[in-house]
Amino acid sequence: MHKTPLLDQLESGPWPSFIKDLKRVAARKKPAADLLGLLERSYKDKITHWKHGGIVGVLGYGSGIIGRYTDLPEEFPGVEHFHTVRVNQPSGWFYTTKALRELCDIWDEHGSSILNVHGSTGDMIFLGTTTPELEPCFAKLTAKGWDLGGSGSAMRSPSCCVGMARCEWSCYDTMDLCYEATQNFQFEMHRPSFPYKFKIKCSGCPNDCVAAVARADMSVIGVWKDDIRIDQAAVKAYAGGELKPRGGATPYAKLDVQADVVALCPTACMAFDGKTLKIDNKNCNHCMHCISLMPQALRPGTETGATLLLGSHAPILEGAQMSWVIVPFMEMETPYEPFMDLVANITEWWSENGKNRERVGELMLRLGMRAFFKGVGLEPPPQTVKTPRANPFFFWHEEDFEAEAAGRKYIK
Amino acid sequence: MSERITDIGPPKYDKFLPPVIKDNYGKWKYHEILEPGVLMHVSESGAKIFSVRGGSGRLVSTDFIKEVCDIADKFCDGYLRFTSRNNVEFLLTDQGKIADVKDACKKMGIPIGATGHSVSNIVHTQGWVHCHTPAIDASGIVKAVMDDLFEYFGSHKLPAQVRIALACCLNMCGAVHCSDIAILGIHRTAPKVDHERLRHLCEIPTTIASCPTGAIRPHPDKAIKSVVINEPRCMYCGNCYTMCPALPVFDSQKGGVALLVGGKVSNAKSPPIFSKLAVPYLPNNPPRWPETVQAIRKILTKYAEGANKYERVGEWVERIGWEKFFEVCDIPFTFQHIDDYRWAYDTYRTSMHFKF
Amino acid sequence: MALSKEALAEYIYDMVAKAQGKKNLKAMDVQKAVLKEHPDQNKNDIKFAIKDLIDGGRCVYTYFGGSYIEIPHEEGAAKKV
Repeated sequence: MHKTPLLDQLESGPWPSFIKDLKRVAARKKPAADLLGLLERSYKDKITHWKHGGIVGVLGYGSGIIGRYTDLPEEFPGVEHFHTVRVNQPSGWFYTTKALRELCDIWDEHGSSILNVHGSTGDMIFLGTTTPELEPCFAKLTAKGWDLGGSGSAMRSPSCCVGMARCEWSCYDTMDLCYEATQNFQFEMHRPSFPYKFKIKCSGCPNDCVAAVARADMSVIGVWKDDIRIDQAAVKAYAGGELKPRGGATPYAKLDVQADVVALCPTACMAFDGKTLKIDNKNCNHCMHCISLMPQALRPGTETGATLLLGSHAPILEGAQMSWVIVPFMEMETPYEPFMDLVANITEWWSENGKNRERVGELMLRLGMRAFFKGVGLEPPPQTVKTPRANPFFFWHEEDFEAEAAGRKYIK
Repeated sequence: MSERITDIGPPKYDKFLPPVIKDNYGKWKYHEILEPGVLMHVSESGAKIFSVRGGSGRLVSTDFIKEVCDIADKFCDGYLRFTSRNNVEFLLTDQGKIADVKDACKKMGIPIGATGHSVSNIVHTQGWVHCHTPAIDASGIVKAVMDDLFEYFGSHKLPAQVRIALACCLNMCGAVHCSDIAILGIHRTAPKVDHERLRHLCEIPTTIASCPTGAIRPHPDKAIKSVVINEPRCMYCGNCYTMCPALPVFDSQKGGVALLVGGKVSNAKSPPIFSKLAVPYLPNNPPRWPETVQAIRKILTKYAEGANKYERVGEWVERIGWEKFFEVCDIPFTFQHIDDYRWAYDTYRTSMHFKF
Repeated sequence: MALSKEALAEYIYDMVAKAQGKKNLKAMDVQKAVLKEHPDQNKNDIKFAIKDLIDGGRCVYTYFGGSYIEIPHEEGAAKKV
């Protein structure tokens, strides 16, 4: 074991210590001991000691394995090769202990015994193994029904919130869509052929617990079209203080329905006379604030589906973007054909037109929304924009004149 | 040898669902949070499921997972899940066993919390543990910050939930751009070219092509067989180092931490908001990054004092104005705060709506 | 004229071999290059020709900020220099 005086200082304190945890593994495994030694060196030098490896993988796949090599192999031979294996997570990150133990046994046998639960995209990340262990590890995983997740310029492992499995707000079956999309795009996940990464995240309601709007190229966010369901007796119980706001998860003993709910409604579509809560549902923008505060009184409606938003990514290259609305409402029923077809159209349009390392959201800005809508076969809904343009630089195409002459609004 | 299995995808989720979830899938009616970290969901049928939520370090060992499994086997019929913020949830049908699960977690060192108006687990990246382009470590800073904010993890004391995230460089694998408080590792100098190693390790045409801003050119002296970097064009993304290990982007002295605040993804009341730059630079100071820990505590404390009920950090800052935010948090305003990238104009003030 | 399955694979392999070290080719670059010379080639044929080359180990996917198709070789990061 290497001496780790700096890391040792992270053993104290109330939050779980990853150093304590890794030391247990280091006691039985040389790579883990060398990982701690190398990390201690980084804490001393204030720089990383890893190099990227871009060639290692399992046969046939261009995804799922990330190569890592240390730049100090003589001192830390246990981490000379220390590759990552991305194991595609089950929808909603539900497991049985049997399944988890099987995964642990595979990783104890073929890797470092160190992992992330979970990575940013959603996969379970096995951290650290050598090139010769990759194929046997993969064979053991698939034999138990697991597969590798996406990496590189590919469809990445879709992920989702807990959805209908344990949430009353979910407007579609997020876990099922996530599973079906993952199955549908296996080829695109494992054989990178896009300009860059493409992520799908499925949130059941506008609270967006998997940050779909910020972290997925294709953000699928559940929504309802009809009226919020109200239990007026429960509203009274909130007003009277028998029920606590947000299910009890705030510092506030009592909900002030007028001040905390009605006055904070962004569309001012609610009214409360001390007895009855009224909602002008036609003007509700389904922000979820009232529902989140009064979960026993209010629920989303029953005419439900999802809004599709497209384009978010982290800052590289043009600056961070959030996804924007391209389809305000889509019914989400198995087998999700309209959704799968649209994703295939979008990735094809993007692959055809995108530059290397250009995310779909950047391509949409570069070529314009007209090119996008036409390219993927969608009509432009007004919900796409917050406001229409303020400048006079709108131009007309010959086909617009033809559409006009034919009495049509759009070009078919 | 048996035939190679590929493209099977993950196991179908229903294999892993406890019976109470299978029976009540899509039929949940409401939930209550019985105490910090303990949720109760009630079905139309009256069935109940209890979830005990605990923090994990995210970077864990198989020993940790197996211990977690021991708890789930003992009290949860072997069912558990993880959350989008790297917490573990023990799923129970017997309310009487909640205390047992909490006790077992306590023995293991798993804190219970992360519900409602708390500071939940910090979503983060790999840092020095496994990444080749980080400016900072990830797990160590998370540990230091969560140790300091521990009282907020297992309580509902704040005006709203506070989501903290960390990304160890501007590639932002942690997608920190929509977090209430974002910790971002920053490089402040261009990669240094190691001409001698580059000759042996790297292909020059593909190295040049790897730069997204076109800042890399062939070395003017062809005999050197290397490249030069136009430093003002470099945005410190590290992609050239991904391609070529003789172009390290990190600097032991200049790298450090920036803090961005006020982002969110939920649509509640206000639309999703980007995090904005609050503190452009704090020193890279392992093992416990005290400057970063203190700066975050100060922002969190000022928010807790100043925000209205149910107001997220970003909503609070927008209401009081950024100039007031800098004043109450005692943060000096710098050139770095003023945007000069692609959509900069959107951030300039064109009204008289400001405060002195 | 469209190439036969075998000829297409060789055509792609040669293209990748010639580009090695000079330009990293993506799957879409390969497809576009094939279609330029052989406009009637079925896109799915190209997709599966690449798959066969990869499955047979003659080409590999690599990742250096983007995913490329290359001839297997020792990478810089694995060398001890």
